[in-house]
Amino acid sequence: MQELEARFGELVGEVAEPPRVARYAVNEAMIRNWVEAHDDLNPVYVDPEAARATGRDDVICPPAMVTTWVMQGYRRWRQVQALRAEGVQESHAYSRLLALLDEHGFSSVVATAQEQEYVRELTPGTRVTCHFTIEDISPVKRTGLGDGCFITLRKRYVDQADRLLVDERFVILRFDPTTKDAPKEPAA
Amino acid sequence: MSTPTVVRPVVGETLPELALPLDRTTIVATAIASQDFEDVHHDPGKANERGTPDIFMSINSTNGFLDRYVTDLFGPATRIRKVALRLGVPNFPGDTMTFSGEVAEVTDVAVTLKVVGRNVRGAHVTATVTIDHPSGGIQ
Repeated sequence: MQELEARFGELVGEVAEPPRVARYAVNEAMIRNWVEAHDDLNPVYVDPEAARATGRDDVICPPAMVTTWVMQGYRRWRQVQALRAEGVQESHAYSRLLALLDEHGFSSVVATAQEQEYVRELTPGTRVTCHFTIEDISPVKRTGLGDGCFITLRKRYVDQADRLLVDERFVILRFDPTTKDAPKEPAA
Repeated sequence: MSTPTVVRPVVGETLPELALPLDRTTIVATAIASQDFEDVHHDPGKANERGTPDIFMSINSTNGFLDRYVTDLFGPATRIRKVALRLGVPNFPGDTMTFSGEVAEVTDVAVTLKVVGRNVRGAHVTATVTIDHPSGGIQ
């Protein structure tokens, strides 16, 4: 485990992966899917007149939806799962980190915290790019879900003019579910 | 359209509760609306293998429901500036998550809210949300 933790040092502070450029611009159809799923009746997300009545130029994207624009889509999600199952590492730091954790059995994931500062509201036509950095990796800890480590990703979302839209810290736990309620490993 | 129920927030003011019954479709639909295909949000068998008894709500969905809670209360002009949330117990199909909260801080330009979303097992989410002051502040 110490050998694993020693390798975290090489990864902290690194760019996690190449910038993610949204596959399509912020758009009303995706916004509508989101607000319907959340049963959110705020009219500023779907009605340009209502949005203008609140001083905006157009409908806005719900703040929490910012992550959606840079998700990679179903096909790429399948591809990433297949590569991980085959033990194939892509060249970027985040892929190397996941491969390292997979090797040690930390293959499951839950998100644990998120902080987002919304600098600008997103409107249709905005093309989002997200820059990911590995900000922190905790030592391996015992958690209620099993042994694992917390990874803090810094995510900076910018528009096509490179203006900051949202600054985010995202914390996930990568853990080994087979160690849930396991006896504590003796200190080496 | 929602009606703002809080116009001039004062520190310590309790926010009205919002109870959200969450079925399986809610959890899946919100995950897919955010393009999140992690299997723990839609596949009970895979969720089981990964150590949870059922699928559970994604963090982005939780964040989306927080947006809804806050703008339902403060109205469509609300501008959310910052959200800091921490997850506790999962939201599973069949749970009802009830949001409650209070006004923690008020300045001329901003209002900070403490919000908790609970289900029967405890706090699913504990959040601090900062919005522009609904009066438009001093700017």
